[in-house]
Amino acid sequence: MNYQTILYEEADRIGTITLNRPHKMNAINDLMLEELDDVLRAKETDIDLKAIVIRGAGRCFSVGQDLSGEGNAEVMPPDSKADISAKGLIEAGTRWNRRLEYIFNYLKPIVAEVHGYCLGLGCYLAMACDITVAGEDAVFGDPSLRMGLITGIPLWTWFIGTKKTKELLYLGRYIDASEAEEICLINRAVPSDILGEEVQRYASALAISPGDGMVVVKESINAQMEARGVGAGWRFLTQMQTINWMQQKQILANEFNFWEVRDKKGLKTAIKERDDTIEKFFPKP
Amino acid sequence: MKTFRDVVKWKSQYQKRQWEATPYEGREFSAALYEKDGPIARITLNRPEKRNALNDAMFSDLMAGLHKANDDSDVKVVIIRGAGPNFSSGHDLSSPEGEESPPVHPSLAPSVRDFYNIEKRRCNKHEDIFNFPKPTIAQVHGYCIGAGMEMQAACDITIAAEDAQFGLRGFGIAPIGVYGHNLGPWPGASPKLLGGNFLPELSGKEMEMAGTINKTVSILKLEEEVNKWAQAIASQPTDALAVAKEFINGMLDITGYGAMWRTHYEGHVMIQWVRFRKDEVSFYRSKKDRGLKGFLQERAMHSTPKKEHGRE
Repeated sequence: MNYQTILYEEADRIGTITLNRPHKMNAINDLMLEELDDVLRAKETDIDLKAIVIRGAGRCFSVGQDLSGEGNAEVMPPDSKADISAKGLIEAGTRWNRRLEYIFNYLKPIVAEVHGYCLGLGCYLAMACDITVAGEDAVFGDPSLRMGLITGIPLWTWFIGTKKTKELLYLGRYIDASEAEEICLINRAVPSDILGEEVQRYASALAISPGDGMVVVKESINAQMEARGVGAGWRFLTQMQTINWMQQKQILANEFNFWEVRDKKGLKTAIKERDDTIEKFFPKP
Repeated sequence: MKTFRDVVKWKSQYQKRQWEATPYEGREFSAALYEKDGPIARITLNRPEKRNALNDAMFSDLMAGLHKANDDSDVKVVIIRGAGPNFSSGHDLSSPEGEESPPVHPSLAPSVRDFYNIEKRRCNKHEDIFNFPKPTIAQVHGYCIGAGMEMQAACDITIAAEDAQFGLRGFGIAPIGVYGHNLGPWPGASPKLLGGNFLPELSGKEMEMAGTINKTVSILKLEEEVNKWAQAIASQPTDALAVAKEFINGMLDITGYGAMWRTHYEGHVMIQWVRFRKDEVSFYRSKKDRGLKGFLQERAMHSTPKKEHGRE
């Protein structure tokens, strides 16, 4: 399988997907989403393959959606200057949610191996996986609000509870792996030098379980999440994203406007200024 | 004999959000104070001599303050805090019988509909704070009891002093709280801290461990820490904050938050008919026989599981 933005390899009944845009800190663009979908779909029916690992090449897992404005029609809300329709936005939101929901409901266990930044869409991807193991250098967070956007996954309140969700999303604060473990955003934080080894240990243990049993267990756990409303959550998110995208133009004149800064001074400056607004109060771990 | 309707003017269950229906124009804030500091509004519960016990006047000023903060487009975040020794000691049990804050005296023989309406209005004040369109921060020090506890639970963020004391004491009956829903999915926290402890009194530190509040700091640093959080939130785009709050609260509604508020006030309605055995502490009986202070003493003795208190 030849992909441009990911790598796929298989060994010992474990498939490993590597997000592979290291020069862009594995920023996720439309093509990467498509290729992820493609490889997962192709492998779902392979009954000998027992577990999937998702990891990032280079310095980090992923900094989130590609904000450059190129090749990201799907991962980013439509240009605020473009002629947008509610219908188009609902379709975009539905597609976005369907991709993450597919990973969440995938019929094999998926382990996320996180090192370095795991922000925005990268963080949602790690949350959608069944098990997340992170090196102690990992940094989790969702800076979307600082760009005038809402989060892109509904799972927060179910995972980490009311007050912590509000804290992380309102502030856009970045947290380290041990805090992420403490609040149940991830399963385990481990020393960075043994991260790969630990993830292999998890994946190998998953791979020796009976595949059919695994499917039943995953399905029943997700059915419990569904009973607690996660299904409605995905849908509600689509609606909120639609509202959010329609009002995206309304960042006030005296407020930091990520998109304006990006267009005038470039993406790097925009990201730095975005993170500076919060780091005055809550420095990066 | 007086009846409920002689004392309390008939009111239907509330239609508008209560802060929205409380005017602030020309108001002299006193039981709760309102001040504005750039994008931050501070509402200070201000009856320190009564440990900020919540009565109708205080709720009214608080609601008016929220109304004002919502109408003021400069304001991006609201801090709720208490003047004097603590955040709040809960509903003022010494309020006159016509007020909404204390429990309705059974001798007033209210109908079920009267109870339904008054309890819904009473409990919805907290729900209205929860759904207030701008982010809210509770700054908690000292006692944070009963309705004070509910109020901080309804705020988006709670920062407390390490030695703050949280608790639900009830009217000599089992407490009905909404804060349990704020517990995260921590498997160890809830049984360890709350299970088997029917009248839990937790310190700020324990509340933080249980995941029901965001952070505790030394009381000396409380104000500074709260201001930092407020400014950090205020640095976010206004409209996106509104959408984010609506989104998170919507998610919580899906998990049953709406039903939780409902069971909360329906629980309030039900507890009106609790019958007390002779060896149990009844607010009404105890207050009649020994006065309010006598009731508080008796309740404290009964809810403190120590042998040396030697209950008779």
